[in-house]
Amino acid sequence: MHATSTRKQQYIGDPLSQQPALDRARLEEIFNDIQSDARYDHELNGCLNCGICTATCPAAHYYDFSPREIVQLLWTENLEGIYDAMQEKIWACAQCYTCAARCPFRNSPGSLIMIMREVAIKHGFQSAKDVLRPFSRVMLKLISTGNQLSPDMITADHFADWGPNISKVDAPLKLLRAAIPMPTLNTMKTAWEVNLKTSIELYTIWEMTGVLKQLETIDENLFDVISDIMDERREDYEDWCESQGDNETRRAAPPEETA
Amino acid sequence: MTVLVVGAGPAGLAAAHALARVGEPVTLVDKAQRLGGAPILSGYAKLIPSGEWARDAIGGMVRRVQEAALVRVATTTTVSAFEGEPGRFTARLSDGASVPCAAAILCTGFTHFDSINKPEWGFGTYADVVTTTQVEQMISSGQGVRCPSDGRKPERVAILLCVGSRDRQIGREWCSKVCCTVSANLAMEIREELPQCHVYIYYMDIRTFGLNEDLYYWRSQEEFKVKYIKARIAEVTSDGNRLVVKGEDTLVKRPITIPFDLVVHAVGMDPNVDNRALAEVFGVGLQHHGYLARGSAYAGMALSTRPGVFVAGAATGPETIDDSIAQGEAAAIAALGVVRTSAVQAA
Repeated sequence: MHATSTRKQQYIGDPLSQQPALDRARLEEIFNDIQSDARYDHELNGCLNCGICTATCPAAHYYDFSPREIVQLLWTENLEGIYDAMQEKIWACAQCYTCAARCPFRNSPGSLIMIMREVAIKHGFQSAKDVLRPFSRVMLKLISTGNQLSPDMITADHFADWGPNISKVDAPLKLLRAAIPMPTLNTMKTAWEVNLKTSIELYTIWEMTGVLKQLETIDENLFDVISDIMDERREDYEDWCESQGDNETRRAAPPEETA
Repeated sequence: MTVLVVGAGPAGLAAAHALARVGEPVTLVDKAQRLGGAPILSGYAKLIPSGEWARDAIGGMVRRVQEAALVRVATTTTVSAFEGEPGRFTARLSDGASVPCAAAILCTGFTHFDSINKPEWGFGTYADVVTTTQVEQMISSGQGVRCPSDGRKPERVAILLCVGSRDRQIGREWCSKVCCTVSANLAMEIREELPQCHVYIYYMDIRTFGLNEDLYYWRSQEEFKVKYIKARIAEVTSDGNRLVVKGEDTLVKRPITIPFDLVVHAVGMDPNVDNRALAEVFGVGLQHHGYLARGSAYAGMALSTRPGVFVAGAATGPETIDDSIAQGEAAAIAALGVVRTSAVQAA
């Protein structure tokens, strides 16, 4: 069952502000997307304003971020405040859920923030684009293969934060991988060998769950690149199926990719 | 025929006294060795809102009952069976005695919340994390408020409200009603004994209800400079030297980490741990948190779910001493009604 809004007032804004009012319909739409999420009512019971979530929050100790304020904005249906929080603050959460473990009302601020993040992505917030941009290589790998990180992604350029340890990247990774006893790990392009059919099935999941649509909103270029890869690999799969002839053999697994 | 009163705390003592005064015999049983209930057994100091010492106030109620010729007192005694109808019940006591009685009044009280169930607040881990009950005992014994670890006078005391109350995480979905006022009272006691000591109270809401507003909430600030911080503490740890309390000051909106010498848990009132057994023996219902259920709020405040069996005091939910006494007297008049009615029917 979806939550129903209890909001009565038409507009809560700053009457003295010279800034143009935000488009009310857009604010309503964003809030409605958050509130109508199936998890919303389960994770938000009300708020006693005790602050134990913020007190226990690791992010709150380092950023201008307070899970209690996020919960208050949602509970009081402060649309402008929610919109503002989605510009930056919601991305400070580490999703550790200590807040949920401590809340005397059994709210889960971390889960509410997760919902807000998904809505920020859906609505193409610049904050979502900025936060996800550094992850484009990971998203490319993840969406096209189902693996987050593969040996061929580990290059000195991309892991400057490893410090002196980055020199180890120059090791003969391909040789070292080949030495791993499990044949499924003798790969460079993926963390382990991914069956082509599995990848194709994964693409169907991405499409049906709306992940690709989210990607298109957040990063159109990456979406194009990934779409091309998907098309190609689907063709590869079709070709392989045809090469197998009758339906009976089509069910068998296609050949593994080579590293 | 006698009226059976179970539990000799404020409610039971008031019920027994009220019945004896109008000439009704009473059998008063209590599982403890002493009469007086929680205020005496747990060594409370000065009571709210009267400011009288518990040993004087409740002690006086105990003496009054002990001196009443019509009240038969049985300590270290429980009721093992209870059968019959209003006007002709029979109670079997743990000492083997069989007591015919016209009615029964359950004044079986509550159990203090055991702070060990909130481990993140340090009770049981750090010696200097104590409960309000322990501070009451420090004051009532004359020892004074000291850190249990080394006996030093604390310079900084934190009182955490709602420990074992208003907390869905541990299934305590009720307000224990008195802890705010008790804590304000203890804070003033501490400041009076140790004027150099800073006392902070961490609260979610302050519920010094009714006439306790100015006497406790305001007075503790105006006269005793007790600091109130709206925050629920996340955890109590130690830096090896002092206790460290972590929270968010929700009104000025910043996370706080503050050292303390003594942390006091304002523990709430759990349903009496014996309530399941009591409900079984007396054939009465429990409400959903496990307190004894009231039969009706309006037909008579002392009604249980069984005719002829009445309830009073904190057995039915968190209650003040004053209201427990009032309910004990209300139960007495209800029981007297059963006694008189059955006497008329028998005639």
